[in-house]
Amino acid sequence: MQSASLLRTTTFRLALSYLGIFTVSAIALLALVSWSTSMFIEWQVQETVEAEATGLSEVYRDRDLAGLSEVIGQRVKQDIDGRATYLLMGGDGLMVAGNLRGWPAEVGDQLGWARFRVLPMGSLNPPSEVMAHAYELADGYRLLVGRSLADAKRVKSAIHRALGWGLALTILLGVVGGYFTSRHMLQRVEEMSRTAKLIVGGDMTSRMQLSGTEDEFDSLAQSFNEMMDEIERLLEGIRTVSDNIAHDLRTPLNRLRSRIDLVLLKPSDCDTYRRTLEETLAEADNLLATFNALLTISHAESAARLERFEELDPARLAGDVVELYEPLAEEKDIRLTCRAEAGLAIRGDRHLLFQVLANLVDNAVKYTPAGGTVVVAVEVEAGGDVAMEVADSGAGIPAEAREAVLERFVRLDANRSTPGNGLGLSLVKAVARQHGAILSLDDNHPGLKVRLAFGPA
Amino acid sequence: MRILVIEDDSEAAAYMAKGLREAGHVVDHAATGTDGLFLATSERWDVMIVDRMLPGLDGLSIIQAVRAAGILTPVLVLSALGKVDDRVRGLKAGGDDYLVKPYAFAELMARIEALSRRVSSAQPETRLKVEDLEMDLLGRSVSRSGKPIDLQPREFRLLEYLMRHAGQVVTRTMLLENVWEYHFDPQTNLIDVHISRLRQKVDKDFDPPLIHTVRGAGYSLRAVR
Repeated sequence: MQSASLLRTTTFRLALSYLGIFTVSAIALLALVSWSTSMFIEWQVQETVEAEATGLSEVYRDRDLAGLSEVIGQRVKQDIDGRATYLLMGGDGLMVAGNLRGWPAEVGDQLGWARFRVLPMGSLNPPSEVMAHAYELADGYRLLVGRSLADAKRVKSAIHRALGWGLALTILLGVVGGYFTSRHMLQRVEEMSRTAKLIVGGDMTSRMQLSGTEDEFDSLAQSFNEMMDEIERLLEGIRTVSDNIAHDLRTPLNRLRSRIDLVLLKPSDCDTYRRTLEETLAEADNLLATFNALLTISHAESAARLERFEELDPARLAGDVVELYEPLAEEKDIRLTCRAEAGLAIRGDRHLLFQVLANLVDNAVKYTPAGGTVVVAVEVEAGGDVAMEVADSGAGIPAEAREAVLERFVRLDANRSTPGNGLGLSLVKAVARQHGAILSLDDNHPGLKVRLAFGPA
Repeated sequence: MRILVIEDDSEAAAYMAKGLREAGHVVDHAATGTDGLFLATSERWDVMIVDRMLPGLDGLSIIQAVRAAGILTPVLVLSALGKVDDRVRGLKAGGDDYLVKPYAFAELMARIEALSRRVSSAQPETRLKVEDLEMDLLGRSVSRSGKPIDLQPREFRLLEYLMRHAGQVVTRTMLLENVWEYHFDPQTNLIDVHISRLRQKVDKDFDPPLIHTVRGAGYSLRAVR
């Protein structure tokens, strides 16, 4: 397996684009988390500063300036890690108490909130950002209460680190996962393409392996295998048919040949020649009819439902075929009747369906003894399908032979002497299949009942 | 009749031309589509026989070009393509009849005869008359020597077709296609049975017989043989 081809696979590209989308959304999430964290921390710092300022203002109210500077001194001493910032300054600019060297330039004369960087007194810490509030006291005294933002910074960078690692891990897992998924997919696809190549190479028995997980690859492989089974069946059919054609056409061709051969053996009179030629012509016409039937069958087998299909009235087809065959039936003393429900519709090719009915009625009339009956019926089945049926009172077809007689050139031994090419029912089968109709042969007690069930038009 | 044959298979064309000449027609032959179109448009013909598959220009294109030039000469399309859709396509292109190869010569002759007559009797008729046999197309009634004959609807159409082509040979396939309007291959000689029924009604009690069997070809309705 080549890594280049792996990178080109759809799965891998899909995995990459998902990864891209995921990364972008992870970064957006990170920005949001970091922004809201810093907002929260700043808010907390402000709260602390305000609480402290409230405490100091109470001290100032109760004990005036001296008390305030004393408390500030205490607090500065207690603040070991240098988080707090205090500065009490007189109107003359002299520092009264606190831990700042001077009034920060960033604050200036403004009251309220300010941010500035500071190097806390007696501390080894690097300069840290402070958030402070400036208050004005009486007599020009000013008070600055602040808190270091160093903690907030630490929390923020910890969050950033965690999210950064998470992101890196996600990308890594995404790429690796994408790689393995695509490799798995590629393996199965390549397996399939290998099987297909084997089949192209001539090994018609090759089939795709199923993994047994019943995933989409299995269902694809299953469809492919079913397709191959059908193709193999068709090929087998073609092989059988060509064998049969070769065999079945050799007999009449031989007859044709020997007839001509015989008459040429010795000089004959004009009438003999004429008769022989006429017989030969009839034989040739029979052969052509057989070829035409074969062509019609193979055309019906190869073509799916055609656009040419039109809506047909099955009762009219049945009526026409009965009308066409009625004189013939009467000549043989057979009662041919039509029992058709009116107002039904099927979709199909009227000429082909007429040929089908004609073949069935022709068979029925041919194999029903004098005094028998043949009924052509059109009716709606329980399931809503429209059924056309030709039922006779003849000898019927034994149950075990009903499948076989649908094959090309298959004739029952008992009927070998009657004229026929063994293609009539094959054509019925092929046309039924082309029309999506279900063909069934049943016992009519006595006789044969051939039924074609058409789905809704 | 002057007949133009456009057919690239020289053997098939020679066979056809020989038969047609023996039947008394004047035959000219073109072996390619372009020659055929030239002859079809530059001279007057009574019938044209056009093969579908030709080198240069295919048969259907020739027919379309001929029709576009306003020439209404009857055209018989000849083809090895025998499916119903092929037939429909051939007739849509402007062909008047469609014959599938291989064909019986009698079939070809009968169809050419029918085509050549088609033009001359274009006006709508209300009555058909052959000898003493009369058909009223509006009243749907038939009589012979003044005696009414009772016919089934299909028998009526069968007789109508025979009467419209009186004096000509009509093949079984032509009857199936025109009277029953189905393109299919009957495995039994059904038409013969229908004709014999019709004979019972039209000819049995009258003289002379009008419906004749033409051996190896079909039927013909005429007064004398």
